Amino acid sequence: MIAELGHLLAFLALATAAAQSYLGLTTGGEAPRRLAVATGMFLVLSMLTLVISFVRLDFSVALVAKNSHSLKPIIYRIAGAWGNHEGSMLLWCVIMAGYGGAAALFMRNDRLRDRALGVQGLLTLGSLAYLLFASSPFTRLADPPLDGGGMNPLLQDPAVALHPPFLYMGYVGMSFVFSIAAAGLINGQIDREWARRVRPWALTAWSSLTIGIALGAIWAYYELGWGGWWFWDPVENASFMPWLVGAALVHSLIVTEKRGGMASWTVFLAVLSFCLALLGTFLVRSGVMTSVHAFATDPTRGLVLLAGLGVAGGAALALFAWRAPKLPAGPEFDPVSREGALVLNNLFLSVGAALVLLGTVTPMVVQWLGEIKAIPPESASLSIGEPYFQLTLAPMIAVLLLFLPLAQAAPWRKADLSPLVKWLTPAMVVAVIAGLVALALGGWGIWLGFGVLVGTWVVVGVGFDLWRRVGGGGVGRVFRLPLTVWGMAIAHIGVGIFVIGATVETATRTERTFPLAAGQSAEMAGWKFEFLGVRPVEGPNYYSTLADVRVTHDGTTEIINPEKRFYPVADTSTTEVAIRKTLGGDVYVALGDTIRDQPGVWRLRIAHHPLIDWVFGGAALIALGGFMSLAARVRRRAPVAASEAPTVEPSDEKAPAGVVA
Amino acid sequence: MKVAILVAFLLQGAAAEAPLPDAGKEARAQTLMRELRCVVCENEPISQSTADIAVDMRRVVRAQIDKGASDTEVRQYFVDRYGQFVSFRPPTDGWGMALWAFPFLLLAGVGGLVGFRTLRARKRDLTPLPDDRGGGPDA
Repeated sequence: MIAELGHLLAFLALATAAAQSYLGLTTGGEAPRRLAVATGMFLVLSMLTLVISFVRLDFSVALVAKNSHSLKPIIYRIAGAWGNHEGSMLLWCVIMAGYGGAAALFMRNDRLRDRALGVQGLLTLGSLAYLLFASSPFTRLADPPLDGGGMNPLLQDPAVALHPPFLYMGYVGMSFVFSIAAAGLINGQIDREWARRVRPWALTAWSSLTIGIALGAIWAYYELGWGGWWFWDPVENASFMPWLVGAALVHSLIVTEKRGGMASWTVFLAVLSFCLALLGTFLVRSGVMTSVHAFATDPTRGLVLLAGLGVAGGAALALFAWRAPKLPAGPEFDPVSREGALVLNNLFLSVGAALVLLGTVTPMVVQWLGEIKAIPPESASLSIGEPYFQLTLAPMIAVLLLFLPLAQAAPWRKADLSPLVKWLTPAMVVAVIAGLVALALGGWGIWLGFGVLVGTWVVVGVGFDLWRRVGGGGVGRVFRLPLTVWGMAIAHIGVGIFVIGATVETATRTERTFPLAAGQSAEMAGWKFEFLGVRPVEGPNYYSTLADVRVTHDGTTEIINPEKRFYPVADTSTTEVAIRKTLGGDVYVALGDTIRDQPGVWRLRIAHHPLIDWVFGGAALIALGGFMSLAARVRRRAPVAASEAPTVEPSDEKAPAGVVA
Repeated sequence: MKVAILVAFLLQGAAAEAPLPDAGKEARAQTLMRELRCVVCENEPISQSTADIAVDMRRVVRAQIDKGASDTEVRQYFVDRYGQFVSFRPPTDGWGMALWAFPFLLLAGVGGLVGFRTLRARKRDLTPLPDDRGGGPDA
């Protein structure tokens, strides 16, 4: 009964979304607002019924029968509701309608909100139609099985259980940014006020996307068993492109909001970020590529997604082409100014996104050209991976980051750099020393030194900028700086920490595979690993081959247990690595296979991942900074909304209203 | 000759994957292992795969480096046998060059355009905006 209720609720949401889009785009007012809240509520309840079906193991629901199992722990039964194509599409709709409902509750009542709700209603309508008519999660089985088919065991993991909700908060959150952009274009109002109202949504979506991507990377690090956290895999790139464009967007929005500049570029980015999110979904779901993460692939789904991307993107770009030429250019600024710095940021980040797009799509295009025999088959296969991105994107971003502390300190309109350079010189000295130390310790790799220099420069430079803002006086006063400054600083420090971690980890990680029989031991980098043998262990829904490895380092001894698990229901094996955390990084032990023709000899892959926590910690700080900026906005919202006026600096009387309609 | 090396190492079976005695050569070998694709795995380099063929491929990389082969020669050895697919580093000749040059050309092109327009519109009499509230992004 409960699945039918969920199905009915989704149909109700389809109806309210249709009404919401029609009334939002035409009359506006109270009706679309109430309808948006109703759409959101209906879908949340619908998702809840699906979760209940999964928790209750109602195997008469086809999706539950296919993806759950009675032996599965409860948390993965809940996560199982979105760990498959149909359920994740429902989650997609829930989050999309949820953004609409939240906007209906929190945005001021005017034409921008009405039309944004209208466009969001259209997007929700399209997604729901696809859900209900092409991939319904509520289909019943006439003949329910006694037990379910289980879930891909690789997904039975806490990080990956939370990965889709955050990723979708980001991906799908871009849909509301898109909707406000479309609404602004329809109204012909892309100005400071528009930017002020987009920014909280852009910050929410982009910060959530940061967390979602980081959770995916953490999962890849310890669950895939090879210790890589980022592989320039097409699926990873698919989420990285909207992230880069989103990062450009949250910066260009500042220029539009504070100075009224870059309006057409900002609205273009707002449209583009959602288009890239759709493109990413298309790449992941359509099966056009091979990937470790490829998920729920099916070519016909790909076509539907591609059509949706074409319609939404095409319509938005047509709107943009119609309105953008009439948007004002904004007040003048000197190239050496905060505006100039933010233009530089956007230039590098969007070229970066274009680069990632090219690197991701080219192998697929080449393969397709081979299939249609446009090029000879022997040249129709190409791989673009780490070396390409490390030699193109990494130096580009590093150069951009060299400007970061100066950019953060520069005033609007025109900057006099010499006092800033003087103030930041000690930070540069510290950074150069750190780079040289890294070179000396890490074997004189030029990239290692440069990466550590850049990362340190960002972290220390941002710190010095905070100190400058309180006049260089008591350091304690730094903590009384406004939340918005702290949000920016924390996010930028996160970038620096990430860069240091990523370069050191990539340049100096060591990994070796040892074939070991019980009783034999291996040594690596001052650590001794004694392989004591394997034993069978039974888990709730798997059989494990558990190895005992005695690790000795600096006189302390500890037993760690890397495992190989076999999940009989899904007929797959997974690797559970054992990680020993130290201050400088992780010691990482994975149990491989036995060696052919040599029973009892196992491959033990031992790796050292220095500063790995800096990678994930840096990403966490970036997201935290984003959410702090959002919090600053929400806290200030009440008085600003009351006066209904954008903040205009007294010296800035020339700021244009920007209304072109 | 190269095939002979391959066969010899295959026959050694499960001999320890000992690093090369020369640290510089070993570092080069490790870098190459990260750039070569395990041909039976999904999107994994041979440095990280536990598949048998990856073990063999790692041995061949070490053996060739030890014999004095250059990085390019080792890459070419695998590309000749498995196709361009095996190398995560796209080729640098022909169309491959365009792939490598694209990001920098785009950056230079767009950057030049934006820079030119900004500089042309540059006014000499602009003054910094005074910032209050600590001069954050919202100041």
